Amino acid sequence: MLFQSNQLPGALEHEEGSSAAQPVMNQPSLKQKLLRLGMGAMVSFLMVQSCFAAQHVISLTAEETRDDGFGNKLLAYKMVSHHIDGHNVTDRYSPDATIPGPTIELTEGDKVKISIFNAIPNNNVAVAGISKQVSIHVHGVHYNILSDGTLKVINQVDDEGAGAGLVQTYSVYEYEWDVAPGTAGTWAYHDHNFETHNGSEHRGLFGAIIVNPVGGPTFAREYVLYLGDDAFWGMEIVGHTKKQTKHGPNPTLSAKAGTRVRFHLIALGTDIHTFRLNGYQWFDPGTNNLISQVAIGPLEKHVFSVKALQDAQYVDTNLTNRLLGMRGKFDVQ
Amino acid sequence: MFNKIENKHLIDKDSAMNNKNSSGTRKQALMILFFVATFLTSAIAFAAVHSFNLTATTLPNGQLAYALGANEAVIPGPALFVKEGDTLKVSLKNDTSAAVSFKVPGLSVANPAKVNPGQTKNFTVQASKAGTYVYHGDMNGKELLGLFGALVVDKATGPVDRYVEDNGKIVSVSRNNIDKQFVLFMVGSTFWGTEVAADGTQKPLWANPHPGAVENDIVRFHILSIGPGHTFHLHAHRWLKKDTQEVIDTKLLAEGTDTHSFTIKAGTGVGAGAWQYHCHLIAHMEAGMHGNFKVEALGGTGTSVVGASPYGRILLGPKDEPGLVTFEVSDEPASWFRSARGDAIVELSKPSATGSPLQGADIKTKSLDVIVPGSSVNFIMSDTNGVHTISSLLWPSGAEHMPYDQSSAYRGGGFVTLHTPGLYVFTCKVHPYMFGAVIVDDPATEGLDLGNPARNFTIDLVTGIKDLPTSSDLAVRLLKTFFIATAPDNWQDYSSGLWNVRFPTLPVRISGAPFGNVQDGGLAAPLSILNVNNQALTVGAAPATPGVGEVWVNTQFEKTAGKYKPGTSTVVDTTTWKVKRKVALPQINNNNPHNMWSSRDQSVIYQTQWFDNKFSMIDRETGSLIKNITVGYSPSHVVTLPTNDDITIAVNGENGVMVIPAGTTNVTKMMPTQAQGHISANPHGHWISADGKKIVTPNINTDDIGIYGANGGIQARTPTGNNAPGAHPIAIGMMPDSSKIYAANLLHHSMTVLNGNNGALLKTINLIADYNPIDGTFADNDANGEIAVGVLPIQSPVSPDGKAVVVAATGGQIVIIDTATDEIVKMLPCDPGCHGANFGAKAGGGYYAYVTTKFGNRLTVVDIDPDNNGNISDAAIAGYVSLVDDVNTAKDDNVSGLPGFGGQGVLAVPNVYNGWVQNVPEIWALTDKQRSPIGK
Repeated sequence: MLFQSNQLPGALEHEEGSSAAQPVMNQPSLKQKLLRLGMGAMVSFLMVQSCFAAQHVISLTAEETRDDGFGNKLLAYKMVSHHIDGHNVTDRYSPDATIPGPTIELTEGDKVKISIFNAIPNNNVAVAGISKQVSIHVHGVHYNILSDGTLKVINQVDDEGAGAGLVQTYSVYEYEWDVAPGTAGTWAYHDHNFETHNGSEHRGLFGAIIVNPVGGPTFAREYVLYLGDDAFWGMEIVGHTKKQTKHGPNPTLSAKAGTRVRFHLIALGTDIHTFRLNGYQWFDPGTNNLISQVAIGPLEKHVFSVKALQDAQYVDTNLTNRLLGMRGKFDVQ
Repeated sequence: MFNKIENKHLIDKDSAMNNKNSSGTRKQALMILFFVATFLTSAIAFAAVHSFNLTATTLPNGQLAYALGANEAVIPGPALFVKEGDTLKVSLKNDTSAAVSFKVPGLSVANPAKVNPGQTKNFTVQASKAGTYVYHGDMNGKELLGLFGALVVDKATGPVDRYVEDNGKIVSVSRNNIDKQFVLFMVGSTFWGTEVAADGTQKPLWANPHPGAVENDIVRFHILSIGPGHTFHLHAHRWLKKDTQEVIDTKLLAEGTDTHSFTIKAGTGVGAGAWQYHCHLIAHMEAGMHGNFKVEALGGTGTSVVGASPYGRILLGPKDEPGLVTFEVSDEPASWFRSARGDAIVELSKPSATGSPLQGADIKTKSLDVIVPGSSVNFIMSDTNGVHTISSLLWPSGAEHMPYDQSSAYRGGGFVTLHTPGLYVFTCKVHPYMFGAVIVDDPATEGLDLGNPARNFTIDLVTGIKDLPTSSDLAVRLLKTFFIATAPDNWQDYSSGLWNVRFPTLPVRISGAPFGNVQDGGLAAPLSILNVNNQALTVGAAPATPGVGEVWVNTQFEKTAGKYKPGTSTVVDTTTWKVKRKVALPQINNNNPHNMWSSRDQSVIYQTQWFDNKFSMIDRETGSLIKNITVGYSPSHVVTLPTNDDITIAVNGENGVMVIPAGTTNVTKMMPTQAQGHISANPHGHWISADGKKIVTPNINTDDIGIYGANGGIQARTPTGNNAPGAHPIAIGMMPDSSKIYAANLLHHSMTVLNGNNGALLKTINLIADYNPIDGTFADNDANGEIAVGVLPIQSPVSPDGKAVVVAATGGQIVIIDTATDEIVKMLPCDPGCHGANFGAKAGGGYYAYVTTKFGNRLTVVDIDPDNNGNISDAAIAGYVSLVDDVNTAKDDNVSGLPGFGGQGVLAVPNVYNGWVQNVPEIWALTDKQRSPIGK
């Protein structure tokens, strides 16, 4: 399977909506293949599976955002649409490009088709030696080499992103993820292609997926906190509506007293951090050990739940991060 | 051959198990007997004693490595596989030139003594607990050059690991399930690999290899680290975090030594592919810390691709394989990027080195190495307490992988493969006189290639200059700067009376016809035609008129006997122009003291340690230490707030200005120099407005001037250098009425003038307008009536009366700018590496500018207005002061080398700048005008 659409050699010269912009599927999709097979047994097997395993169709853009007032901008992902088995759940996300990007909730067994469109200005014109692509490189779940979200110089196959790459230009690039059993957990996704083969995750192009086990516990609130080099970048998700709010640096997180809430920590950048939620303890993931602080390095994840009991501060205790004010409130009412 | 021994252990025990399934009754009976016997004597039966004969040796590229028995020495060292309860007897022979040891953090090692060069000693290690351990040479950082290896202790019985199947099932793994193992050491910003085949055979994969496997192979990885921390990430694979049920794909390896072993089924659920593995710290990714795990489809060979080898294609390298040279990043003066074989190259190139292939090449620098196209360069921050970048300054025109750079300063190293022939010079953006150079030489051309042979031997500069002929005067000047800065033998030692500069006698290939100073030899001439021979050096007379008080000079390179990091403060008495005191602070291993300020009552000197993360407070009258304080990395400048005497420290290696409230010794906050999430500004030489309302920083990483409130808050960010890349604003001066800001742009050779209130750009003063970079001629091209040039400007304070800006330019000039017109009015000579400038009071009225130099050891005193008529066009050098100590100099340590060298930060006491001078105690005889520089 190839996932990229709009395969265009060299610079992109077409207008939106012109015939050149129509997706050109190089090979039939999985769905198409299955229809051609037309094997009843196979289809019914899939339908049984689909009772639990959802099909996600997701579309993201990458945009410029957060001008510092002096013309310097960050980059961010924005949710354009998210359908689960055809059901539109886009309204759970911010309508804006946010840092961190949209948190995508999935369940073990799900399948995902996720496409990226590059809305950063001037990125579809090839520049020798510099990639203008944005990509989605995801951690944790299964995907084949065409969904790695890296440049050909790394994956040896293709420039797997949207925009002008080093050897290939795509206006939209689509990835397929197999949220296979065994991938439960919280994982980062981030750019791997913008400007260099390392990408621009440190300029804002990062988000998280939460893969829940089938029948796993639910939480009143979920908090995604990315530990950057000078701030926590976070968001709050209401458990039952999955509505995502409070995006940005060092957000004040809220919870109702007595409810169970879950923190999803991921670090990113160059610093290694020490995280504390003052006054709280939690289980070190995958163990029965209670801990009150954790060392976390870039792109590690650390997920824990606590019962919200009292107001607290979440902090990074490392010298420079602490002095820069890397902390926020955990507001329990 | 310990692998054979190790395999024998395995076979002895496992063959018994295997036979059970395939043999007859008689054999089973024997087996039962065997099991009974082993059960009864289990502890003894399973606890093996392993003997390892290791030799620590030096590799062809100068790196260090362990050899096992008669095998080739390898990095990482031989992987040692034992079982829990076993004992290791290690005999360590030391064939290196430094003392080594054998340390295994986490396990007890009997006889942890040092082995001196030439000696052999025995160590006994008890493998008391299963796990993966680092063993290393314990050499105070030198072990990062290659004396590290893996010791894998598996449980005596049962499975050794688990892996996650494509369907999520967790599968136990025993030793004989494993198809291959990879040891990957994360060191600096480089991976060092070894492949261990199923039969135990080990193969070095060297630096940043591409380990290979076939789909569904069971592959065990041993990730280890030594030095600064990392996170290890492998694309598209998951594994279990040790001792937990947690599935992960990224793992922290903490600072110091750390390990993480895991097992995967290659390509499970994801298929074949070139799956990248890398450190996930952004700066390390940018520094090249990555490779591919090549998973081939069934039927493939799964062969690994070996990385760059210390035995490979480098100057005098013995093997025909991709080679590697390594530079140690160091706090040591001149050797900031020191080739691991730099000492050897200097020795081998001496005229007296009979039999050496380099005899007579006369290479004085340790910061130059030579490779063949396709070989690689490795950097390791093994001898520094600061943070750095490893950044291209110049490279052959159009060269692949250039410019090489990182988006922030960090601790680690770097790795880059170079294909295009020519000269590559690397620097640190935080410490921009740290230089390392690599010549990638095409063996087919005559002489060493300095530029790209495919493009007429031209070079590109980081500041945007393209296709500069290597025959040009600018290129030759840059080359001379490199050979002077990196070789103390080439510095101007006024205490010796003579100056010699010696360049290598190696012929070099430059562009077109020779130009400028390169006269001889046609297209390929030896660099040594640029030599300076026995030029007389005299300090010169001291100023006729005394100054007021003291001048503190950070002689940052001066070495003393009681510490191993360089640097002192040299205190000059301006009434006698004698060195009255040296402050070395051996008790804190004072490291590269760079810049100073004084407390309001002038009783305490505040001192930054630029290659460290320390800031010290010194009693001015006694030179004794008050307190050594941990601050951010690479603190550069310190200035007090004139309003409340709070201390502000520019943290050059990080992203803000730290504050220590007056009268205290604790940092209470760090004011960010950029909005959250934005590229770190890395401020260097900041200044504060006389009214104490604005903190102004030159942001070296973002090429702009930042204006911040006294309590934080970004008021303006103004780009400098006409938006040229890498302008590198480095120091700020301000008008006494705060009306204008002056910033020196080191690599843009210009001064930026800003409105002091809103940061609006008023003017960019080109300091090299009068210079022709191609032929080296000088003319009054900017028609200001003076032929004046300031190459690589650094400190640039405004005189306390607001009349003059004095610019110390590294190229060896002092440029005077009239603030009334913002035109250059004068150029005065300075010594090589001219760096610091600051004003103090002249006795009876007026001001001296004190100017320091890194590669000379005298202080230049400039009188900006000798006739005191307000017109500064008669600015002149008033005199010189030797910074070398004498018998009357008080000191806390004995000078042992580089006397008086490394002049950088300079501070006059009393502080006579408007805003501060008003608080100076009456003990100094200042004139009324000096006490109110711009009126009351």
